[in-house]
Amino acid sequence: MMDQHKTVLHAQNIRKSYGTRGNVQQVLKGIDLRVMEGEFVGIMGASGAGKTTLLNVLATIDRTTEGSILIGDADISKMKDRELSAFRRDKLGFIFQDYNLLDTLTVKENILLPVSLGKMKKRVAEDQFKTIADILGIKELADKYPHEISGGQKQRTSAARALINKPSMVFADEPTGALDSKSASSLLGTLEDVNKERGVTIMMVTHDPVASSYCSRVVFLKDGNIYSELYRGDKTRQAFFQEILKVQGVLGGDSVDAL
Amino acid sequence: MSSGVTALTLFDLVIRSMRKNIKHYYLYFFALILSVVLYFVFATLQHDPSVVERSGGSMGAGFKAAGILLLFIAGIFIVYANAIFLKRRSREIGLYQLIGLTKGSVSRLLIIENSLLSAGALAIGIGIGILVSRVFLLLLMKLVGFDGFIEVEFSTVAVIQTVIVFLGIIILTSIQMIVAVYRNTLLGLFNADKKGEHPKKPKAFRSAFLSILGIALIAFGYWLSGHMMNALLFINMIVVLATTILGTYLLFRVAISWLLYQIRKRKQGHLGLYNSLSLAPLMHRMKGNANSLTIITVLSAMTLTMLAGMYSLYYSTDKETRLILPFDFMLHDFRNEDGEATLERFVGELDNQNISYTYTPIEVLRLDGRFFEEGTLTKLIPETFPANIVNGEQLQRAGMDFEVPDSGTAYYYDATLYWQMKTVAVPFNVKMSDANTELNMRITKVGEGNVLNPLLGTQIVVNGEFYKELKAQFLNDESSSRIANAYAINVQDRDQLAEATAIFKRINKENNKFGYAYYSQYVSAMEDSGLLIFISGFLGLVFLISTGSILYFKQMTEAEQERSTYATLRQLGFTVQDIMRGIVRKQVFVFGLPLLIGLLHSIFAIKAASFLFMSDITLPASIAMGIYALIYLVFAFLTVGYYRKTVKAAL
Repeated sequence: MMDQHKTVLHAQNIRKSYGTRGNVQQVLKGIDLRVMEGEFVGIMGASGAGKTTLLNVLATIDRTTEGSILIGDADISKMKDRELSAFRRDKLGFIFQDYNLLDTLTVKENILLPVSLGKMKKRVAEDQFKTIADILGIKELADKYPHEISGGQKQRTSAARALINKPSMVFADEPTGALDSKSASSLLGTLEDVNKERGVTIMMVTHDPVASSYCSRVVFLKDGNIYSELYRGDKTRQAFFQEILKVQGVLGGDSVDAL
Repeated sequence: MSSGVTALTLFDLVIRSMRKNIKHYYLYFFALILSVVLYFVFATLQHDPSVVERSGGSMGAGFKAAGILLLFIAGIFIVYANAIFLKRRSREIGLYQLIGLTKGSVSRLLIIENSLLSAGALAIGIGIGILVSRVFLLLLMKLVGFDGFIEVEFSTVAVIQTVIVFLGIIILTSIQMIVAVYRNTLLGLFNADKKGEHPKKPKAFRSAFLSILGIALIAFGYWLSGHMMNALLFINMIVVLATTILGTYLLFRVAISWLLYQIRKRKQGHLGLYNSLSLAPLMHRMKGNANSLTIITVLSAMTLTMLAGMYSLYYSTDKETRLILPFDFMLHDFRNEDGEATLERFVGELDNQNISYTYTPIEVLRLDGRFFEEGTLTKLIPETFPANIVNGEQLQRAGMDFEVPDSGTAYYYDATLYWQMKTVAVPFNVKMSDANTELNMRITKVGEGNVLNPLLGTQIVVNGEFYKELKAQFLNDESSSRIANAYAINVQDRDQLAEATAIFKRINKENNKFGYAYYSQYVSAMEDSGLLIFISGFLGLVFLISTGSILYFKQMTEAEQERSTYATLRQLGFTVQDIMRGIVRKQVFVFGLPLLIGLLHSIFAIKAASFLFMSDITLPASIAMGIYALIYLVFAFLTVGYYRKTVKAAL
């Protein structure tokens, strides 16, 4: 089924190391990853496994030490900073753990920010805003400031901002990390809907098995390498969740530590 | 250890925190050093023997007044810088308390730090002050027209004075620190950098009313500044000040917030990046900004006015003196004075000293003048005046660059009354009379300054033909004393002017008379105005540096508070250039608006003060304002540079 789809992201042999000569720490040790259009990929792993580094590298926020990354037809590992910025603005969407909304802007202004320097006409942007705000259920919050709304609403705003420019891919870094379980599942449900109904490709870093059970595929990292992958297929979310827990148990993830 | 922190460990903590926080400190440290340098230089000059010797009473008093003003500015500036410094460190102060230091210990820690910093700044500042005070002294002497050899003496008095003043300031800032530690809650300290109001919808009627009131107050102040020449001059000045300051505050507090709100509302959420980085944060902090922007605008306006006025005074000293004293020397035989004999003696001595000169006798017909038309009758000028009728053609022969009026009309000259008369509409008529005859004379121009050196009253210039007619009409046996002679002497080689002036003064003194000589007037006017421009320039510089630094410090703090915003924006794919464009827009507002309104205020103030001058001061006032604006803009560029660094480092 999958091979009928286009490849959205293709990463080959990604390596990333930090530090200076003599004290080099390799965080990513040669990762190959292919993401198809319409996938909802979860990245899991223990703290320090390289989840966020991988996301940053794939999302063009950070650079690789080695390896190539294709998003669509573009080789982002060869792009200059300026081109990368333009690429992020036009092609990618971001959801962060602590929302990263601008305090001085209203919900609507925050959401419309990414399209502000683009070619999108005001009419089109307005329509797009209405559609997305409807899906995320934040239409009536348009004129509120971030300090006036709840964490869940902030994250929905952040999600709306990520979707406004019809990105080829959305990157989410622990989007539910700061939310209570009710808001978290509500947000994840919405992301799942957006992924299924609008075909938006999403990559989400999380350490929470519940969150990753909403994904269509979960990639486990260990010490900078891909340890294993799970596909949800036709399984129920509950069954998928149990599978994820099993892998995590073997992996020695956060939940095991907690026990 | 549980009994508390010993003095030694506290001191260790101080040193460690100072070393770690050097980037927080350097700003406050810089402000301290700067204030010390400027104050010390001023104190040195105040006590410098060559200044004291040349100054006499007026110069010393001027210095004293300026010194007190300087003290105030330095104090306010340091307290303000300290407040910003404390706010930036509030999280750290909170952390110390969180790990168990008592409020007393934290205060002690801060005070030790402050004392170390201040002592360092005092030492460095005085050191720099000693180096640069010579430059300032040279500048001062150059301005007052002294070109001999100057030596700066190291002044112990200045050092002591500076140390005492800054000890006072250290005590003040220490109190400020204690208050900051004791009055803030832990929670408040941790959230200090998150403070900021959220723009609310302004109440339409109230905002509109206050906005219009603000603009109306400023407009009224401007209008009144052009119409305050009446008996209520002093009250008018106060009213002008009060209305413009209040108007400026309302402008910043209400009118501009309201305007920004309207612009934002019209965008309907499509604010765009540039407005998100300028308009939105400005509205976010408008309440706090309104106060500082008003203060900076008013301060800028005052400084600009002072600088432009004083520079105009200095710039036009030569011209103004020449307008009052058109000839180098003048003798006359009015009121039975023996001008001719004095002249003979003076000219004889000039010949002996090989000083070349030109000499022209000028005949004067003395009549009684009287204003009678409504436009010329004011409370400030007496109705009658002594009129000295002069033949303009004779003035031309005496070497004056001069245009002669048409026959039957006359030009009016009187330097002491010019500031009043220049607003009177020409032509107007005056009555000329002696005991028997009366004549209406048409004045077609009020000229600048005098055509004869003063002590002679108002001068009425006519052409040769009209002069003859007047003489024929008024002169008869009874009034032959109404004709008198003035003798105009100009020295040809300007280098010999000082020598000729000495001779002139000596002769006058021997005759027990007081004679105006152009040169000595010029020298003393130059000294006065040179001193004034120096003191006001010095104060202006201090004002300018203080206001510029305060804006810079404030913006620096804002830049740091908004660092996460820039990180987010760059992650969203906006380039540093995109973000900087929005930030520059904000800076244009933050720096540009106070400057612009300050300039506008000062232009009206200078216009109101221009009655003090006979010559046109547009040029010198523009030069002074231009230089001010240029230095001020340096701070804007520094600020933008700091923002660029912050944005670049954000991701």
